[in-house]
Amino acid sequence: MRSDASVAADVPGAAAARPSGIRLFVRRAMKQKSLLFMSLPFVLWIFVFKYVPLWGWTIAFQHYRPNLGMFEQEWVGWSQFKFLFADDSFLRVIRNTFAMAVIKLVLGFVTAITLAVLLNELRIAAFKRTVQTISYLPHFISWVVAANIISTALSIDDGGIVNKVLMWLHLIDKPIMWLGVGHYFWGILGISEVWKDVGWNTIVYLAAMTMIDPSQYEAAEIDGAGRFQRIVRVTLPGLRPVIVILLIMNLGSILETGFEPQYLMGNGMNAEYSENLEIFVLKYGISMGNFSLATAAGIFKTVISFVLLFSANHLARRVGDERLF
Amino acid sequence: MVKSKFGLLALAVAVTAALAGCGGGNSNGGSASGSPSASPGASGPSSSASASGSASPAADKTPVTFTYFNANSQVPDIDSDKTEIGKALEEQTGVNFKLQFPVGDVNTKIGTMIASGDYPDVLAPDTAIDKILDAKAFIPLNDLIDKYGPNIKRVYGPYYNLMKQADGNIYFLPFSAVVGDYIPNPTIDQGAFWIQRRVLKEFGYPKIKTLDEYFDLIKKYVDAHKSEGLTGFTSLTYDWRTMGIFNPPMHLAGYPNDGDVIVDMQTHKANVYADDDVTKRWLKKLNEINNEGLYDQSSFVNNYDQYLAKISSGKVLGFFDYGWEVNQALQNIKKTGNDDLDYMPLPIVFDDTIKDQYLDPASFVDNRGIGITTSAKDPVRIIQFFDNMLTEENQIMIQWGFKGETYEVDDKGRFYRTPEQIEMLKDNAKQESIGFTYFNYSWPMYGQGSTLSDGNSLSAGRQPEVAQASFTEGDKLILSKYGVQTFSELFAKPDDRPWYPAWSISIEQGSPAAIFQQKSKDVKLKYFPKLVLAKPDQFDTIWNEYLNEFHKLDVKAFEDTLTQSIAAKIAKVTGNSGS
Repeated sequence: MRSDASVAADVPGAAAARPSGIRLFVRRAMKQKSLLFMSLPFVLWIFVFKYVPLWGWTIAFQHYRPNLGMFEQEWVGWSQFKFLFADDSFLRVIRNTFAMAVIKLVLGFVTAITLAVLLNELRIAAFKRTVQTISYLPHFISWVVAANIISTALSIDDGGIVNKVLMWLHLIDKPIMWLGVGHYFWGILGISEVWKDVGWNTIVYLAAMTMIDPSQYEAAEIDGAGRFQRIVRVTLPGLRPVIVILLIMNLGSILETGFEPQYLMGNGMNAEYSENLEIFVLKYGISMGNFSLATAAGIFKTVISFVLLFSANHLARRVGDERLF
Repeated sequence: MVKSKFGLLALAVAVTAALAGCGGGNSNGGSASGSPSASPGASGPSSSASASGSASPAADKTPVTFTYFNANSQVPDIDSDKTEIGKALEEQTGVNFKLQFPVGDVNTKIGTMIASGDYPDVLAPDTAIDKILDAKAFIPLNDLIDKYGPNIKRVYGPYYNLMKQADGNIYFLPFSAVVGDYIPNPTIDQGAFWIQRRVLKEFGYPKIKTLDEYFDLIKKYVDAHKSEGLTGFTSLTYDWRTMGIFNPPMHLAGYPNDGDVIVDMQTHKANVYADDDVTKRWLKKLNEINNEGLYDQSSFVNNYDQYLAKISSGKVLGFFDYGWEVNQALQNIKKTGNDDLDYMPLPIVFDDTIKDQYLDPASFVDNRGIGITTSAKDPVRIIQFFDNMLTEENQIMIQWGFKGETYEVDDKGRFYRTPEQIEMLKDNAKQESIGFTYFNYSWPMYGQGSTLSDGNSLSAGRQPEVAQASFTEGDKLILSKYGVQTFSELFAKPDDRPWYPAWSISIEQGSPAAIFQQKSKDVKLKYFPKLVLAKPDQFDTIWNEYLNEFHKLDVKAFEDTLTQSIAAKIAKVTGNSGS
């Protein structure tokens, strides 16, 4: 789906004067003035809240103290960035952040699309609605509650159902302290995030699937395509534009892995795998009142996200697909 | 044509209206440095009341409400006049407070306040006090106290030197200004090794002193009761509550709680003990008992609630903790009425020859307190309220309650509580509605352990009559078996330590010492679980690995910073007391 519907500016009969450049732009703007009016408040909002505060990036180059005015601050140049990158835990933290982001992205996409496709194949409307509702309920639970549920379920004490079930099935013979083993953390996080958000993510795909022309399905059926083949040949290609756009957008915010699950389920034993950039900034930045460090980390994230977003978009354009811009 | 023009006009109006609505909220933008912090030098506004030097000037009593954010407790928010004590104070002064408490991390909440420059009128920032001072969010109180605070002067006067910051100003009122004689706490609210009473009962109430004896006893009990699914020993390591595993080596070696360091009694030098043999010995012992299946492995994974729940279940035989941290769980156990499941605090040390120092010496905690912020609209009213709180009558009301309702006076003038009153006050809801939960601490107050002018103890809990009356039959029994009247009698008397407590010495934000604290905590949290849960023959290898990691940090900078601050504090205290 193209993001802007281009309107042919030609007026039949005026073949001689084909406006171009500015005149074309103004012509188009006048034709779409109601659309422009509607988007104006939001553009302003974005400008004021997302672009204007960017001047606050200067904090990253100062040793910021909140009670002094801007020009009274102490300028420290790149030292906050140096602290960020020179810290030996920084590489580990970045590795964790990326790993958890990739896991979340991949798992999120695969599970959401699969579930959406499966739901789409359901015939009984009541069952479909029930499954949908149940699947997106966990999205509304806050991470604090969810983390508590998860850590209780994974514990080795009485409440730990996971261990109990596994032992009953004779898959393990003594309880495993899941949250105490570092390299299990990524898996636990992935599964938790899928459980929490898969239902919510399917909504977009289900909506997109209603836009696929039903006659395509009929044509495929006539041509002898079975259920599975219809999914692969009609549904998925029909979803491709949506998938690509969402993928590009998600890549842009890949580093926003959030910090709630990592903060709530992290502890000394899995810290090597659970500590991500946000928690690092929390510990050394906000908790110590070091707003400059927090801002420096934020700038770093923005730069990386920018690079990723542009590359993804460029790649999509090369491959001939839909692209964001 | 008319239709579309009209539609366009409607749109334009809607957009303009929306813009006007957006415009109002923009003033806070993202610029943190634009916050208009009032210049800290401004003292109280010119007083409208008379400036006579006698009892506080005829105070303005018009009803007013201020906000007070108290980071010390996590209890439900409330308006102070919904409590009996708050109502009485409001009748005296016309001041009501909206009491607000944090949910979750105090540091981020305070950080947000600082970044926005928008503070409550009154603030008790607890651990985040250094940030608040750094951000100059408190107003200096010197002039306000001089003009409006005769009671404040009376109570805090002897401690002024300890309360003044480097620039000579007093920015907050601490909570530990002891008035009169110092009465120590009859029950243990600080550190101890706790053991379940049924263990002591089963073996005839033996006198145990060393760590080995302590764990041997627990082991014997578990062996005799294998089917009950008991946990021998547990610890809390969650968020900042890591004392359960970090602090014991210090106490076992015979030192009181100085936080991360042991301070030598002669040289007054601070030494970080996390890399010393005392810690190795402690962890090795835990490793041993873990190997025997007596240690609660989920200690390293549990959060505070799970830890309290575990202890409240009555299946844990022993733990090390500070009374104030584990009190909720102990109260739960007491409510069940089963004395066997209750716990006994013991002063355990490494060897027979070590004298324990678990009890706190009388000290002045100078880095916790309550202050008036730069956002306060009427600092004069607030200071007057504080001053009014510090009259002896009001202090009695705040700590003891209302005569006839929560305490009685006998014919010798001694305060006491009847058994019914003690029973009634065990209920948390009653504590909240009377106002004890909200007013007992975190306000300008006589320090805990103070004595009133008639000889009664300020804190009801430290009045011998009340303490003994609130002991259960089980308490009295176990105390008699050990030949003492109160729990703290089992502990050695504290030696004099003018710098105490070293953990309250404020560390500059972002300094190498502060960074060391955070990093050393990370290293310890990474290795201590490994050391305790490892196989015994791997202990030494992991210990050496840990030492390597630990010594990469700037230990010396931290020790030097603390040694200097300790020396400064000693000078202030001994120089000031003139004794």
